[in-house]
Amino acid sequence: MTSLQQHDIASGSLDRMWAIGARRPEGRGLILLVAVVLGALLFEPGVFTAYPATLGRIALIGLVALGLTAVILMGELDLSVASTLAVSGVVMAMIPNLALGIIAALIVGLIVGAINAFFVVVVGINSFIATLGMLFALRGLALVLSDEQPVRLADVDDGVAFGAPLIGPLTPRVLIFIVLLVGLHVFLTRMRAGREFYAVGGNRAAAKDAGIPVTRRIFTGFMISGGVAALAGAINTLERTAATPTAGSTVLLASIAAAIIGGISLNGGRGSIIGTVIGTLALGLLQIGLALAAVQQDIQQIFIGAVLFIAVVTDPASLRAVAANLRSSMGRGGGATAEPMPSSPQPVAHQ
Amino acid sequence: MQDRSKTETAPIVIEADAVVKQFGGVRAVKGVSVSVREGEIYGLIGENGAGKSTLMRMLAGLYTPDAGEVRVGGAPLQPGAKSALAAGIAIVHQELNLIPEMTVAENIMLGSFPTRAGFTESKKLRAVAKSTLEEIGVAIDLDEPVSRLSVALRQFVEIARAIARKPRVLIMDEPTASLTPAETDYLLEMLQRLAGRGMSVIYISHRLPEIFRICTRVSVLRDGSLVDTMDIEATSPDDLVNKMVGRELKLDLQVRREAKPGAVVLSARGITAPGVRGIDLDVRAGQIVGLGGLVGAGRTELVRAILGVDPKSAGMVTITVDGKSKRINSYRDAVANGAAYVPEERRTEGLALTMTVADNIALPNRRRLSTSGVLKVGSIGSFAKELAARVELRPADVTRAVGEYSGGNQQKVVIAKWLGREPRFVVLDEPTRGVDVAAKAEIHRLLRSLVDAGAAVLVVSSDLPELLDLSDVIYVVRDGEIVGTLTAAEADEKAVMTLAAGGKMVTSA
Amino acid sequence: MTNIATRQGGRPAGAKVSTHRGGQIASVIQWSAERGIFVVTGVLIVAAAVFVQGFASVVNITDVFHRAAPVGIIAVGMTFVVISGNYLDLSVVPQVATSAVILIAVSNSYGLLPAIVVATLVSLVYGLINGVAVGYFKANAVIVTLATTYIGLGVLRWVSGGNIFFGPRGGTIDTLGQLKFGPVPLSALVLVFMAVLLGFVLSRTGFGFALRAYGSNKDATRLAGVATSRVVLGAFLITSLSAMIAGFVLAAFSNTAVSTVSTGMDFGALAAIIIGGNSVFGGRGSILRTVLGVVFVSVLTNILVLTDIGYGWQQVAIGVLIVLAVSIDALARRVGK
Repeated sequence: MTSLQQHDIASGSLDRMWAIGARRPEGRGLILLVAVVLGALLFEPGVFTAYPATLGRIALIGLVALGLTAVILMGELDLSVASTLAVSGVVMAMIPNLALGIIAALIVGLIVGAINAFFVVVVGINSFIATLGMLFALRGLALVLSDEQPVRLADVDDGVAFGAPLIGPLTPRVLIFIVLLVGLHVFLTRMRAGREFYAVGGNRAAAKDAGIPVTRRIFTGFMISGGVAALAGAINTLERTAATPTAGSTVLLASIAAAIIGGISLNGGRGSIIGTVIGTLALGLLQIGLALAAVQQDIQQIFIGAVLFIAVVTDPASLRAVAANLRSSMGRGGGATAEPMPSSPQPVAHQ
Repeated sequence: MQDRSKTETAPIVIEADAVVKQFGGVRAVKGVSVSVREGEIYGLIGENGAGKSTLMRMLAGLYTPDAGEVRVGGAPLQPGAKSALAAGIAIVHQELNLIPEMTVAENIMLGSFPTRAGFTESKKLRAVAKSTLEEIGVAIDLDEPVSRLSVALRQFVEIARAIARKPRVLIMDEPTASLTPAETDYLLEMLQRLAGRGMSVIYISHRLPEIFRICTRVSVLRDGSLVDTMDIEATSPDDLVNKMVGRELKLDLQVRREAKPGAVVLSARGITAPGVRGIDLDVRAGQIVGLGGLVGAGRTELVRAILGVDPKSAGMVTITVDGKSKRINSYRDAVANGAAYVPEERRTEGLALTMTVADNIALPNRRRLSTSGVLKVGSIGSFAKELAARVELRPADVTRAVGEYSGGNQQKVVIAKWLGREPRFVVLDEPTRGVDVAAKAEIHRLLRSLVDAGAAVLVVSSDLPELLDLSDVIYVVRDGEIVGTLTAAEADEKAVMTLAAGGKMVTSA
Repeated sequence: MTNIATRQGGRPAGAKVSTHRGGQIASVIQWSAERGIFVVTGVLIVAAAVFVQGFASVVNITDVFHRAAPVGIIAVGMTFVVISGNYLDLSVVPQVATSAVILIAVSNSYGLLPAIVVATLVSLVYGLINGVAVGYFKANAVIVTLATTYIGLGVLRWVSGGNIFFGPRGGTIDTLGQLKFGPVPLSALVLVFMAVLLGFVLSRTGFGFALRAYGSNKDATRLAGVATSRVVLGAFLITSLSAMIAGFVLAAFSNTAVSTVSTGMDFGALAAIIIGGNSVFGGRGSILRTVLGVVFVSVLTNILVLTDIGYGWQQVAIGVLIVLAVSIDALARRVGK
């Protein structure tokens, strides 16, 4: 029998490269990263020799961003990570035994994640708002537990030791980041539960129909996000040898920005850990580079904002929307767009 | 044609026993019993709204019958996708259920990835996906994200997913809607092979040649009830059509309006869009043009492209009112020039369900109800009341949220909001789907009065009697093209159906 | 999926039909969603006046007003964005601070009128950038306004050098900032004025109507012929102008301005909007609700301060209230179907 052929199976490395660059969501983040690296090589090579500081700075935001990636891939959002970071940091500092403290912090993160998932799945609240509420509530909790004061670590030496490089120039913070990066990447690419995150985000109804335990996956995702934020809180406390209840307030938005630049779609189903890491690196390097170039912090911020803005309005979906608007107001019906695939169930064919 | 001898005495694999399903006050399925044997290909036909979809979902475990029972291999079927899958039932929906960014292989194996300690066994996954594709006889790059595939290939991926689980029963809902004749041949041959190996297939389709080619038995549904179940040899296409359609053809076809069509109001040339292949269409004042055709023929896509609701890749649309022609470039252009659109999905596109009837009616009429941007006190209420009365909304309470009304009343609200603008060109897509009989008659009356007052009306309808009743001329659409024109005099249900469905299949063994 | 259930308004397998008892609970939930905030706010105020020491004093009431006004003004403006289903406008933070700084700094050098003109222009720029990106490019509002926040804060700090600007003692701004009518400061009257004006716009103009419809169902509104991109743009412009006025009020109150004066006002305003019972999904939304939300949160915060319950518990309270408000809304939706 004649076989039905797909006509454009990618063959050859050039094809595959084009596929990666233009089509994959990480593409644009990669372009930015390359641009930043080139710029750094040309203007501020100091960035690369200063990499302990560079990496350390990137790691905290990147850590939170990694956790967020899991949630965003499912089409949800977790704003509470900033406060989870703070609360777990405080909890850890309050417990004299370091090991117990860290465990307690992680447990806090997991519980927060479970609570968030509960509100989203069981009560049925939009995750933006549910986690917004938790953002407030947990921040309050952190303030209450710490009596609005920074809480010192029982043993300051632990904190100092934590800041010292462990393997080569890499501090524990960086190592943990790398471990988590690898772990989550493997989870989302090689483990069934992780792959199913993409299904939950890409087409939740189809996922349900295929028998995927959507509720369980959402719980897992939020608990990952909460757990990672808690880990970040513990790390932050160790590095500073004290837990401040207001820690993490700048991290939230920066990590969302990193994930967005890395190509993640807020609707879910699109994006990757690699993308988030690329976004984190791009933003982090940009920031460090600008700082070393003695660009004022304000200008740095303008830069970052501009990059983020450009990233979001040059998203293919946005460009298509604007093109359609322009086309109709200019009176031309031409220019076929590729038939878009709906990401939520829609009839393929009407009457 | 399938070998009947094997299946006549084969065990019953799945059956519905006097199942009933009701939504709101409407019974979609009224006491239907069907049974499918191992290895047989069982056809299920009926018009839209006959209850096929609902019955199918009950068989697939997605709906629980309100009365009666579905049994698989003798045991009652537990509700839920998971238990249906476990019982060996796989369903391929009409609307594709794929995950856009995941690969072909992953979509095929969705929900049943082989794992070891939580890790996906990638080799095994790809092997199963590959062998499933081979079994179907389709070659697709396993690593391609399905969003990049053509619609037809996506359909095959979806079919592959169903088959990968080695189901006992495969339910297919209008699978050939987006396939070319060659691809359809492919699919049918594949189904016959699979049935030959013991899989049962429930095949739901409008397309009679396909039914006759592969099915051994066929059940006809009409208005939620089972009309008849027959061996395929004991029936003929004519017979099936009669059974599907066989209302006592109400000869209360109102006094046929002598349509005196006036000047051309809407002129569309070369409309090209996904699913629409270069269609030309004219609608005149005082004329109702009906668009007939099968599911997936492209009618909805056509009207949306004409109006500018969805982008078109080529074509020109002009609306002419009072002698002045205006080229239409966007939906807002169309509306500004006297167009009105009553979409197919009234709940998601036609109405803001949480807002009141009055607000919904007022929405396209804001300018009329306000002075320099400020809404006039009380004007909305009285305006809406007047229009609600005109469409015979029951009960005529414009302060209630429109979501609380029945389907028929909701549809009336959709129409009412446009009436306020005295539209010159009205497009309706399935205007009386899910609408009760009384409201349906009232809506038809409304349309006739609109057209008598000089509007040009374009109606898409899968309800053949309605289409014939309303239209002064019917264009039959098939595969994105107009394949036939029927005047009111020449049109009857068979003529439309034949044009809509016929000639697609080359062979009918 | 288009399936018969949705076409005919039915439910897929497993949905429970409510019993009589269930019906009673359902109507309680729906009543809470509709009227809860009104009653609860009233009760809270009365309870505070009766039970909380120092609540009902003139000084305290004035203080409550002063604190409520800036966030309240932002909130009534931002309600438009929330109702349109775009979540929030994060850039109100730099906008408020910028307009405060412009007011004081520019009026010191050039006079009050030029200051207002400049501030208005800046505000319009913000509104245009946000509105075009979200309305025409269909970009996500959270990300867009995040980006403009970064840019805005950066620009503000760069231009202002992080300095604190002082208005002249006894100058126009200072006088207006201290102006009171009994216990009611001018800032509260500004809030009331804005609330009335914007309430009018939201409920009684064609634009407001279109916006509410858009929030309820984007597709149906577009198909009704509404210029939806323009509507979204309008929502962001209104938010920007409100933020500007909030900045003026803040500046006048303390007769100073610094770039950090508005921290947290984005989420604070959103909290008030949500607690008031506005639904992010459209259907229930009004300026009155926002005002009630502002009043409720302000009074509650005040009570907690007066009773010496720490800032931490205040934050906890707000978080719990947000979740509670939305839960009631979600449940009301479910039982109402």
